[in-house]
Amino acid sequence: MKFNKKENKDIIKSPFIVLAILLLLIFIFFAPLFLIIWEIIFWGISLFTYLLSLFSFNNKLSELILKNIFNLSLIIFMFYLLYEIRKIIKIKPINQMSQSLVRIKYPPTNTTHFTLIHQKPKLKRNMKYLQIALNSDLNEAAAIISSLPVSERILIEVGTPLIKRYGVNAVRKIKSIVKQGTYIVADSKCVDLAFREVRAMFKAGANAVTCLGVAPVETIDRFIEECKRYNLDSMVDMMNVENPVEILKNLKNIPDVVIIHRGVDETEFSKEKEIPFYQINQIKDNFDVLVSIAGGDTIEEIQKAVFNDADIVVVWKDFYKSTQNTTELAAKFLKEIR
Amino acid sequence: MLKENLKYLQIAFNRPIDDVEKMIFNLPVSERIIIEVGYPLIKEYGIESIRKVKSWWESKAKRKGYIVADLKCMDRAYTEIKLAYSAGASAVTCLGLAPIETINHFIERCNEFELDSILDMINVEYPFEILSKLKKLPKIIMLHKGVDENELNSEREIQYHEIERIKNAYDNIFVAIAGGETIDDVVTAIFNGADIVVLWKEFNENPEIIQKLTYEFLKEIE
Repeated sequence: MKFNKKENKDIIKSPFIVLAILLLLIFIFFAPLFLIIWEIIFWGISLFTYLLSLFSFNNKLSELILKNIFNLSLIIFMFYLLYEIRKIIKIKPINQMSQSLVRIKYPPTNTTHFTLIHQKPKLKRNMKYLQIALNSDLNEAAAIISSLPVSERILIEVGTPLIKRYGVNAVRKIKSIVKQGTYIVADSKCVDLAFREVRAMFKAGANAVTCLGVAPVETIDRFIEECKRYNLDSMVDMMNVENPVEILKNLKNIPDVVIIHRGVDETEFSKEKEIPFYQINQIKDNFDVLVSIAGGDTIEEIQKAVFNDADIVVVWKDFYKSTQNTTELAAKFLKEIR
Repeated sequence: MLKENLKYLQIAFNRPIDDVEKMIFNLPVSERIIIEVGYPLIKEYGIESIRKVKSWWESKAKRKGYIVADLKCMDRAYTEIKLAYSAGASAVTCLGLAPIETINHFIERCNEFELDSILDMINVEYPFEILSKLKKLPKIIMLHKGVDENELNSEREIQYHEIERIKNAYDNIFVAIAGGETIDDVVTAIFNGADIVVLWKEFNENPEIIQKLTYEFLKEIE
C-alpha cells in the first residue's frame, strides 16, 4: 500500500507542473483577448480536475484524469479559440484608417455588438467648406470625383436621388472611390425611424447624415442622439421651414450643422423665392452650430453666403454632369469660399 | 387601381430583403392587400427593392399587384417619380411638409405617369391648410403618426376626426391611416371612414405568423 501511494504522488506532481507552465505561457500570450467568464471556466475546470484527482480515493479514476488532464484542457482551449476567431471574422472593418474597438448597445434589440468605429475627420470651426452634391448616377459621380482638385475643404455629398436609387450602396461605392479621409455627407433626409437610418449610413461609411427640420421633434431628437452615439455629424435640413430658430429651440440637443436650404423645385417654379441669408446670423447668434447654405448655385449667391458668414456652401448644378471644366469650376468656387 | 367601395390593408415591409421575400410568399392572396416598400428598405437597397418586391408579389398573387413606393419625396419630384415608375411602382408618396411647388409638381407628374399620388401628412397639424393651397388634389391622403413619435410621445393622437372632414370636402379622395398598430386602432380607423389602413409593426416583428395576422386584420377591415 505504501509503495502504491508514493507512486501516485509522483504521477500527480510531474504533469501538473508542465501543465501549469503551459497554461501560464498561453495566458501571457492571449491575456488581452480573454473574457473573464472564459478565464473562470478554463481555470475552474483544470483546478477542479486536479483537486478531484488529489483527494480521490479511487486510484484508477485519478490516474485516468491525470493522464487526460492536458488533453482535456487543450480541447477546451481550442473551443475557446474557435469562439474568439468566429467573433473576429463577424466584424467587418468599416474603414482601413485608424480604428478602435467600441462597444455599442443597440436599444431596440438589446443585444451588444462589437463594432469598429473609425475616427471621423471632424469639421473645423474656423474653416469654410465647399460641399459638392452628387445627384445623377454613380458613373457620373466617379468621373466628377476624379476631376476634383485635392483639398481638405471639399466635402462630398451623396445626394438623395443617389441614395434612393442605389440605397446605402451609393455611399459605400463613393466611399471606395474618394481619396482616403475625404468627408462624406449622406443626404438621406430622415423623416422617421432615425435609428435605422443613422445606423445604415454609419455602416456604409458616411461622416455626416441629414435629417429634415419638418420631421417630428421626437425624430430629430433621436436622430441627433444616434448621430452622437455613432460619432457622426448631425445635419438638420431646414427646407420649407419658416423659422429655423424655433425648431432648434424645441430640441433637446443642438445638431452639429444647420442647413438653410431652398429646394430645386422651389428654385425652378417660383423664381422670386430668395434664400434667407439673414437666418445665418440669426441662428449663429442663438446657437453654437455650423451653418450650411444649399440651393444657390451662382457665383453671386456663393459670395453672398460667404459674406453672411456661412460655414459650408453646397453646390450641385455645375457638378451634375462631369465636363471639361469641372476642375476649374471647383477651384474657382473654392477660391470664393475663404 | 383602387376601388371606391373597398377597404384596403396596406402592409409595409421594413425587414432585410431576404426576410421580405419569405414574408410575401407567406401572405394570403387578396385584392384588398396593398404592398408597401418601406422607407428604410428603399434607403438600404435602393429602387431595386421595389422591383424585387413587385416580382415576388405578382408571382405569388398571379395578377398585377398594387405596390406603393414610400419614397417620401421632399424635393426633385420629377426625378423621384421617374425612379419609382422605372421600378414599376403603382403609387408614390410625397411629404405634406414639402414645399408647395414640389407637391404641385409631384401630383402633376404622377398624373402624367399614371401613378397614384399619396400625400403623407406626417407632423402636419392641419391637413386642410396644405390641401387648400394645392392646384390639384392628390389621389390618397395619408394621415400618419411617425414611429419615433409613437415611441417617445404617447400623448399625440392620430387625427381620426379629419378623415370625415376631408371626405366631405373633396370627392374622389382616399384616406389612409398610418401609425396605429393594434386591432383597436384599425377598428377605430375603419369606423371613422378610412379607406386604407397602413400597418407594419406586427407584421415585421412576427414574420412567422404573418398569414394568421393578415387574416385577422383583413377580417376587421370589411
